[in-house]
Amino acid sequence: MSTNSITVKDLRKTYKVPEREAGLKAAIKSLVARKTKDVHAVDGISFQIEPGEIVGFLGPNGAGKTTTLKMLSGLLYPTSGELSVAGHVPQKREREFLQQITLVMGQRSQLNWDIPAIDSYDLYRAIYGIPQEQFIADRDKMIEVMQLKDLVKKPVRNLSLGERMKAEMVGALLHQPGVLFLDEPTIGLDVTMQRRIRAFIQEYNQRYNATVLLTSHYMADVQALCKRVIVIHHGKLLFDGDLTQLVERFSAQKTLVLTMSDMNGKTPDMAQYGTVVTQEPNRVVLRVAKSDAPQVTARLLADLPVTDLTVDDPPIEEVIESVFDAPETSE
Amino acid sequence: MLKPIKLFGLFARISILNEVQYRANFFLQVLQSSLSLGTGLIVLSVVYSYTDNLGGWSQAELLAVYGVFVLMSGLIGSLVLPNMWAFMEDVREGRLDFTLTKPEDAQVLISVRVVAIWRLVDVVLGLIVLGVAITRMGLEASWWLAFAFAATLIMGMVLLYCVLLLASILSFWFVRVWELMEMMQSIFQAGRWPVGIYPDWLRLGLTYLIPVAFAVTVPAEALTGRLTPELLAGTLLFTIVALVVTRLIWKWGLRNYSGASA
Repeated sequence: MSTNSITVKDLRKTYKVPEREAGLKAAIKSLVARKTKDVHAVDGISFQIEPGEIVGFLGPNGAGKTTTLKMLSGLLYPTSGELSVAGHVPQKREREFLQQITLVMGQRSQLNWDIPAIDSYDLYRAIYGIPQEQFIADRDKMIEVMQLKDLVKKPVRNLSLGERMKAEMVGALLHQPGVLFLDEPTIGLDVTMQRRIRAFIQEYNQRYNATVLLTSHYMADVQALCKRVIVIHHGKLLFDGDLTQLVERFSAQKTLVLTMSDMNGKTPDMAQYGTVVTQEPNRVVLRVAKSDAPQVTARLLADLPVTDLTVDDPPIEEVIESVFDAPETSE
Repeated sequence: MLKPIKLFGLFARISILNEVQYRANFFLQVLQSSLSLGTGLIVLSVVYSYTDNLGGWSQAELLAVYGVFVLMSGLIGSLVLPNMWAFMEDVREGRLDFTLTKPEDAQVLISVRVVAIWRLVDVVLGLIVLGVAITRMGLEASWWLAFAFAATLIMGMVLLYCVLLLASILSFWFVRVWELMEMMQSIFQAGRWPVGIYPDWLRLGLTYLIPVAFAVTVPAEALTGRLTPELLAGTLLFTIVALVVTRLIWKWGLRNYSGASA
């Protein structure tokens, strides 16, 4: 029994991209001598994921997330570096390895659109050689949990996006994989559907101690599922650790929300304390630098008739955004 | 060895069960196939109103060639072509990734996925034409003839599969290869006449480049008693070489494949 761990050591993927100048002459010239440019999609990243962990894999578009997932699932050859997934080298694409993993891409469908999902499931049963009894039990259980019922008997093209995604998830987990690569599994879904998919992933993870590497643009997904996050940017590892630490480390600011008792119509000049986000007669939201927070708090309490004051971290979306917007400084 | 056949059986069953729901397609196919068969037969009879012999083939024998042509079009159209279209679309849309993460040979998976059952109408029509041709030729049935015909027919199919797959594999490099596939289908139309009537350069092309000769003329030769054991052995050898070469190029293409969004 192989464990479901993932090890990545100094992984690199470099694409050679043809480069040519505009114009017919350059086009003809490029037929003979093609100039290429190296693009480092993944540029030396390392991490280790233990069996049963759910890890959020974050980064802006083009950061190298999908390229990494593709290398981990054996679809792409790494340019260099070492990979081990569930005790196998992915790019060898051994049957035992492929039997152990699953890949779900929210943007693409693996189900055949012309036929009902339940027929596609039958095909997966044959391809993976799933024992009939286990297959039927698992399938019916998952169909029930996902509340798909008769939808699996309709051609997939007639399903809504959310219904389709639920059917995809069922199909991807029928062979009881130990390692799940989920690339934007909730993209474009409404909140209820997102929640259902999340709960499904969580339940599967707990029941089979499966390892999950998940990318998502929805921070709610990450917050609900992942204790740990790995952040990459420009193909490099930017952060690997607890979600709470990420906020701690990358948010330079705190949000202060204060409620005051009646000030007899006077409006104090709040700008002297920090950046004013909103100001109502009795309620003010301020943004201050993290290091100034204790001092500003003390001053506010001394100067004003404060009845309530909270100090918050900014929303995680903003933190992530600020990480990605920052110029490429962390080398 | 058995698993591909089992998979094919399952894929075929599912395709068929789903296609059967769209009966209008069946009638459309019958209409289309009958029209094209009718035109073909008229052309044939026109040609023979001027001559009794075309490149050594009598009218009944030429009818047999035409029967094999229709039969082969039906087989390729229902079993091979739909899989190739689906494969090219998968490459274009990046869905091939899912096939490649399955614990089964990808070439097998992409080759047995779809059966366009209504195209089997052509198989039935082809068999009818062949039946008429055989009666007219006054052919004496023999095991050798039956075996030689079946063997050459299967090898012809395999060869066409190889060529069509090779063309589809080009989609790893050039995302749009539809035109090439369309062109090959037009060239295949040349197979309605025995390749012997064409000039040498064209005959060579139709034999080795696009193996129309092997796919249609050779089975017809087998049926009309023209097939020598040497030619049969040669066909077998060529088929094996084509399969091996296709396999190698497939593997090479796969190594170059990097996914649509990569």
